[in-house]
Amino acid sequence: MARLIRRLGLLPWAAPALLFMLFFALYPIAYSVHISFFRYNLTDPTQAKVFVGLANYLQAFSDHTFRVAALNSVLFVVLAVGIQTVLGLAIAVMLNRDRPGTALIRTMLLAPLTLTPIVVALVWRALYNADYGVVSYYLKQLGLNVGRGPVGEPSTALFALVVVDVWQWTPLVALMLLAGLRSQSADLFEAAQMDGASGWQQFWHVALPLLRPILIVALLIRTMDVFKLFDSVFAVTGGGPGYSTEVMNHYIFKTGLTFFDMGYAAAMSNLLLVLIGLFTAAYFRAIGQLGTAR
Amino acid sequence: MTAKRRQRAADAVTYLLLALILGFFLLPLVWLALTSIKPAREAFSIPPVWISKPILDNYRHVLDNVPVIAYLKNSLTIAAGTTLLSLALGVPAGYCLARTLSRAAGNVALLMLAIRMAPPVALLIPFYLVMREVGLLGTYLAVILLQSVFNTTFVTWMMRGYFLSLPADLELAALTDGCTRFGAFCRVALPLSVPGLATAAIFTFTMSWNDFLLPLLLTGRTTRTLTLGILETMSTYEIGWNNMAAIGVITVLPVLVLGYLLQPYYIRGLTLGAVRE
Repeated sequence: MARLIRRLGLLPWAAPALLFMLFFALYPIAYSVHISFFRYNLTDPTQAKVFVGLANYLQAFSDHTFRVAALNSVLFVVLAVGIQTVLGLAIAVMLNRDRPGTALIRTMLLAPLTLTPIVVALVWRALYNADYGVVSYYLKQLGLNVGRGPVGEPSTALFALVVVDVWQWTPLVALMLLAGLRSQSADLFEAAQMDGASGWQQFWHVALPLLRPILIVALLIRTMDVFKLFDSVFAVTGGGPGYSTEVMNHYIFKTGLTFFDMGYAAAMSNLLLVLIGLFTAAYFRAIGQLGTAR
Repeated sequence: MTAKRRQRAADAVTYLLLALILGFFLLPLVWLALTSIKPAREAFSIPPVWISKPILDNYRHVLDNVPVIAYLKNSLTIAAGTTLLSLALGVPAGYCLARTLSRAAGNVALLMLAIRMAPPVALLIPFYLVMREVGLLGTYLAVILLQSVFNTTFVTWMMRGYFLSLPADLELAALTDGCTRFGAFCRVALPLSVPGLATAAIFTFTMSWNDFLLPLLLTGRTTRTLTLGILETMSTYEIGWNNMAAIGVITVLPVLVLGYLLQPYYIRGLTLGAVRE
């Protein structure tokens, strides 16, 4: 009994936060599930909600643009997170050994992480500009045909946006992995060296397995965030040219808040929520692993 | 001797690669900074002019012609409001979840983190409808409330981890000395958790300052933030890249400085507490 009282004694401390979440997070989600069963368009003068059952969800599966957006989202995650992991690991390994200047480089890598994403997007939009952009100019100097610029051509637009994400977030992966490498004790490597392991072997068989937990956390943080990608699509391409850079977030946004087709937008956002939920589950398992590894 | 030479060759290759990588990461930053102090003519010249005589005309121009100060005030108000609300809600909640010894506490903490993982657009659509209904669209409060949903979860998660790393003995000692729970929290736990609080505060502030999507939908003409202002001025005021860059520098400077001053805290926040330097 005394323990129960002690336990309840702290409950009021969490109550404001929990009530806040209930009211401003869970209630909106419940409301979103509710309206996903209705046809509800704000541009409709009567603003009537008509019950349509699962029609909005069925529409999502037959909607060509939604399928393209879902595919692009996945493609984006695979490319961006893949490149960030490989490049981040390479940078971390290079910065791990104390050479003159590495501290300075490490400090400079922090800059992209703090920058306002919409400003980053606009800077890249200018750099990519087909006529006056610096990147386009140097690509042309290299003899490449840039056409309407890297983001103006359907074949390269998605990759050009991936580069923006790689630019901003590779340093995060690098700094996380570097912290992981730094925490590894030198004894292990000395032991491996005594056993005749080469530098590469030490990396593959000692450093990398030890890095696994933090690598998984880095990967999953990035995966979640790339699924939320919005700013650069909105500010640089608007989802185009055609639908070549349309991603789920942006398409849902457009459907709900530009065309005001709320029921359909809610249905799609619930599907996205389920997709993210699956990844979140994986993330929690990874955190559990990190806990046991510590 | 050969080992030494091989080492030197490896160093040379590493430096070359690092130089390339650094070039890639610095290019947009350098472009932004240099373009903001360039005359329009040179901002659009082909081939690109990198170094020119620095001028402050662009800054003067945007301060005179674009409501930058108003945007700045709005960004600051919203970021400060979100930081205060998220900490006020999240710090006690994190303390409760750290000092309550039950499985439920851990599960609540994970649920909080799950909400943070949700894509903002999924909450934004129903939230927009609710705010529209109660007539709060276009107010600071609407943005602060929804940003606080995402940030309170983060603060709770972060602070729970931090309080867990503090030994409870000191607080118990204070309790047996006749302190109330609140007294023990204020006098013992809180002073010890300043680094955790700093992480939570600067990270929340930066997230709010850098946010674009929520203000895009929830602010009105008088409450627009800098992130919206910079995009809007591109189209409304027909300004060139040189002027855009000037607003861009004004936008990123506060968070860049904050990030550098409080570097380790900032990184801990970005990695959800997974990295402690």
